[in-house]
Amino acid sequence: MDAFLQYFLPCFYSFVACIAFCVLFNIHTGILICALGGALGWLVYLFCGPVFQSDILQSFVAALFISAYSETMARIRKCPVTGYLLVAFFPLVPGGGIYYAMEHAINGETELFLDVLLHTLGVAGSLAVGVLLVSSVVRLLNIAQRRRHVRRNAAR
Amino acid sequence: MEYDRLLNLSTEIGYGLLESGAEIYRVEESIQRILLAYGLTTGEVFAIPNCITVSLVTPEGKALTRVRRMPTHGTDIDLLELYNDLCRHLCVETPSMDEAEARCGAIRGRRRAYPFWVELGAYFLGAAFFTLFFGGTVLDALCGGLCGLSIALCLTFLTRLRTNLFFKTVAGGAVSALLALGLSLIGLGKNVDFITIGALMLLVPGLIFTNAMRDIMAGDTMSGITKTAEALLIGAAIALGTGVALWLARLIWGGVV
Repeated sequence: MDAFLQYFLPCFYSFVACIAFCVLFNIHTGILICALGGALGWLVYLFCGPVFQSDILQSFVAALFISAYSETMARIRKCPVTGYLLVAFFPLVPGGGIYYAMEHAINGETELFLDVLLHTLGVAGSLAVGVLLVSSVVRLLNIAQRRRHVRRNAAR
Repeated sequence: MEYDRLLNLSTEIGYGLLESGAEIYRVEESIQRILLAYGLTTGEVFAIPNCITVSLVTPEGKALTRVRRMPTHGTDIDLLELYNDLCRHLCVETPSMDEAEARCGAIRGRRRAYPFWVELGAYFLGAAFFTLFFGGTVLDALCGGLCGLSIALCLTFLTRLRTNLFFKTVAGGAVSALLALGLSLIGLGKNVDFITIGALMLLVPGLIFTNAMRDIMAGDTMSGITKTAEALLIGAAIALGTGVALWLARLIWGGVV
């Protein structure tokens, strides 16, 4: 029951929310694949919790997973990766950070405000680095594949 | 070979891609591949988030250039996939100019869109489930959904007035935060923070941010930096909007909220 509340429910929530976001971005085919990416990404985030104890690192690992998942799915379905990546990332976006930073700013708690703000930027940065890493590896693979292709054609 | 028509066609496809939310490198590569597929070796493309420039030199040595300015645009993954498919098709089969132009013209008609009420439902569900996701109760989720609806109506109205993205985000954030505070004063919602955050997720610049990162990695640093700045601005707009609402509420109701 504990595991259910701790792992299944949040992932289910993010799954449904991602379906709604698919509609907002006018995605028609492959809605379930996109939403599954969001749910699995959050599952990875939760599983990494006990190991890393830091949401910046957790976000980083989840970002790696989501990018790899999206690139694979885009390859399989032969369509742009943009949609998958976009929707699956939403549960990781530090929306709470923006809000709490703002709240501290209004209350005049400068130290807390800076703390939360820097933390939020840290999470956003780790997400960015996650996407960067995977997409550059994919570019490398693409170029290697194209080269092999060209070489094979030349050998004939 | 009519290079004027080729130039127009490839620019049109690039424009469509950029308009529906493609990354810069995808736009540039697509145009370049079409030009290559039709036998040119001298096609040059330069795109930034709000402009595309395509230039080519015909085999006779005549230089042709087109520039298209991009207004502010949304995200439309269905349209993006259609243009991407068309580009693939043109590169593999290189049909005649007439057929290619006909296909390009037909794309807007083939695009599928959800009816308005489905979109409203999506705004409701998205905000409601993100409220639950961040730890709200079921009643909070209901309030979050209502705030999501208010954001939807606000955005639709302001889009009709052609307001810029920054102001739209400020207004959306302010309206939803005010509604969240009001609903919690009535006693319907308990956790104002979860409700507001859930509704805010609808305004977060997710696409801009991920695309910015991918652009930077692809070597389009300038576009990447422009988009990163845009994402940060929108983040600030969200904070500003909700901040104004919270501050107003505290001014009116005192320390209750």
